[in-house]
Amino acid sequence: MFRTLVSLTVLCVLVAAATPRSYGQKPQASPKDEEAKLIAVLKSDAPRKAKADACRELARVGTRESVAPLAALLCNEELSHMARYGLEPIPDPAVDTALRDTLEKVKGRLLVGVIGSIGVRRDPKAVAPLVKRLDDPDSEVVQAAARALGRIGTLDAVAPLEKALSSTAQVNRIAVSEGLFRCADVLRSQGQREEAQAIYEQLRTAGVPEYVRSGATKAEDAIRPRGR
Amino acid sequence: MSGTRSTKKTTSTTRMTRRECLQTAAAAGAAVLAPTIVPASALGRGGAVAPSERIVLGAIGIGARGEFDLGWMLPEKDVQFVAICDVRKVRREHVKKLVDKKYGNSDCKMYADMREFLATRSDIDALLIATGDRWHALATIMAMRAGKDVYSEKPSCMTIAEGRAVVQTARRYGRIYQTGTQRLSEANFVAAIELARTGRLGKVHTARAHIAPWDAADMNHSWLPGEPQPPKEEVDWDTWLGPCPWRPYNSAYIHGSWRGHYDFHTSCIGEWGAHTFAQSQAGIDVLNTSAIEYRYVKNDTGDGMVTKFANGVQMILQRDGWHGSCGMKFEGTDGWVTIADNYEKPEVSSPSLLADADKLVAEYMERTKRPMNHVRNFFDCVKSRQHTVANPEVMHRTMSTVHAANICMWLKRDMHYDPVKEEFLNDEEANRLRSRAQREPWII
Repeated sequence: MFRTLVSLTVLCVLVAAATPRSYGQKPQASPKDEEAKLIAVLKSDAPRKAKADACRELARVGTRESVAPLAALLCNEELSHMARYGLEPIPDPAVDTALRDTLEKVKGRLLVGVIGSIGVRRDPKAVAPLVKRLDDPDSEVVQAAARALGRIGTLDAVAPLEKALSSTAQVNRIAVSEGLFRCADVLRSQGQREEAQAIYEQLRTAGVPEYVRSGATKAEDAIRPRGR
Repeated sequence: MSGTRSTKKTTSTTRMTRRECLQTAAAAGAAVLAPTIVPASALGRGGAVAPSERIVLGAIGIGARGEFDLGWMLPEKDVQFVAICDVRKVRREHVKKLVDKKYGNSDCKMYADMREFLATRSDIDALLIATGDRWHALATIMAMRAGKDVYSEKPSCMTIAEGRAVVQTARRYGRIYQTGTQRLSEANFVAAIELARTGRLGKVHTARAHIAPWDAADMNHSWLPGEPQPPKEEVDWDTWLGPCPWRPYNSAYIHGSWRGHYDFHTSCIGEWGAHTFAQSQAGIDVLNTSAIEYRYVKNDTGDGMVTKFANGVQMILQRDGWHGSCGMKFEGTDGWVTIADNYEKPEVSSPSLLADADKLVAEYMERTKRPMNHVRNFFDCVKSRQHTVANPEVMHRTMSTVHAANICMWLKRDMHYDPVKEEFLNDEEANRLRSRAQREPWII
C-alpha cells in the first residue's frame, strides 16, 4: 500500500513538472532541466496523454539525451507516432541510427511511419534498407519507401526507383514517380542537371498517367539549356 | 473534362473531340436504331453545356463551409458534381441529397475512404476540399497526385513544410489549385488592393491585417473527455484525425470544437490571417514572399504584432478597427483605404480616391482575365490551365507569414525569417516548428 502511494506520488510530481504548457510560456527551468523532466515522464508509468505531450515538447527542446527514451517508444503501437514527432526535428545523427535500427522491428503502419521519418531526415545511410522495401508485399510500405528515397535523392536511390517504375504494381507507380521527381529536385538543387534530366526522360516515357509524363516533360523543358 | 484540356484547341482540327464523337455517334445511332432519342442537353443544346466542356467535380469533407462553397459551384453550368467523400455518414448523405435534388436524379455517389475514392474515380477532374484544417494540405496533395485539380478551403496548410509540399506537388503534376481566400476575387477588396498597388495612396508604408477577435494565439494541448467511439461507418475517427496525434473520440470535435487545439488549428492568426495576410500582401505586392521580421507583442492574441517585408513595408496584426470581418487597411504617404466584409464600398482618406475605383477593378479584370468570382476563376483556370489568383505559391507564401507569426507568439520572442531558404535566422527552436511528424499512414 505504502509502495503504491509512493509510486503514485512520484508519478504525479513527474507529470505535473512536465505538464505541457502553451508554447511560449517562459520556461520555468533551464532547457536541460526541462528536457530531463520530459524524459522522466517518458520513462515513467505516466498515462498516454502525458507521454504524448512530453514527446511534443521534446520535438522543440530535445537533444541527443532524448533520443534513446524516444526511440524506445518507436515500437509502441500507441506512442510510435509521438516518438517520431519528438525525434524528427532533433538534429543529432543518433536519431537516424535509431530510425534505421527500427526498420527491422516494426511492420505495417508503424513501419510506414518510420520510413516516412527517415525520408524527412534525408538519411543517406538508409538508402539500401529502403530499396529493400520497394519489393515489400505491403503497397503502403512500398509507396512510403519510394517517397522517402526521393527525399534522400542521392544517385544510389535513383536507379532502384527507375527500375521499380516499370516493375512495381500499378498501384505504386505514382509513389515511385513522386520519388523520382523528388530525386530530380534534389539533384537539380546540387547542380546535377544532367542527372535530373535523365530522370525526367525516364518519367516522360514511362507507363504512368499522362499528367505525370506531362509534368516530367515540362520539368525537363525548364532545365534544358537555352540557346541564344 | 479530361486531363488534356490544354491541348483541346490545337487538336480539334485533327482529332475528334468528345462532343463531335457524341454527335457522330448520335447521328449513326439515329440512322441505324431510329428512333433512339439523344437528349439535346447531351449535345450541348438548349443552353446546356456539352459533356466535353463540363468539369466533373467531386468533394472531400463537406461541412457547413463546404456547403457554402457548393452553393457557389453547383450553379455553374459547366460543372457536374458527381461524388462526395466524407468520413461522416451523415455528411455524405446530406451532400448526396442536396446534389441529387439539384440535378433531379440520384446519381451522386458516396465514399467514406479517400484512397478508394481517388483510385477509382478517374472521371473526376476537380475536387473541392473543405475538411477541417488538419486535412487540407494532405488531401490536396493526395488529390493532385491522382491527377485532380483542387479548390481547397483555407487555411490550406498546418505548417510551412506542408505549404511547400503543396507547391511542389502542383508543379510536378501540373495541377490547378485555388485556396479559398475568396476576397481576392471580390470587387471591394480588389479595389482597395489596386488603390494601394498602383500608387494611388502614394508610397504605402503600412498594411493592417485583421485577425479573428474571438480566439487566442496560444493554443491548447488538452483532450476533451473520451466518449464511446461510433461505428466506423458512422464516423471514421481514425481518418478524421488523419495526420494529427491520436486522441480519444469526443463528438464535440467533429462539430467544430477542434478549433483552438494546437494539433488541429492555426489560431486566431491563421483563422482570418489566411485571408487578410493574402489580401494585405496583394496590396503591397509581396505575394511571392513572406514577412522577414516578426516583433513579439506581450499578449495572448498577437494583436499589434508588427511584421515587416523585405521591401520595407510593415504589416500590423489587429483584432479591431473594422466594422466587418476579415478587414485590411493600407496606409500611404498620400492617403489610406480600408475595407472589410459588409462594407458598401471601401472607406478612404479622401473621396477622390474612389473616383475611379470601378475602373481600377475593370482594368484588373481585363489585365488578369480574372472574374470577380473566386470559384469561377478556379473553373476558368481548370479549363485554360492558367494560374489562379490564389495559386499554390500565393497560398504558401502568405500562410508562411501566418505560421511564422504564430511561432513568434508561441516562442514569445522576435523572429527573423529568410523566405528564400524558408528558415528562421539563428533560431533552431523556431525552425523545429516548421513541420510536424505526420501520423502513419498519412505521410506525404
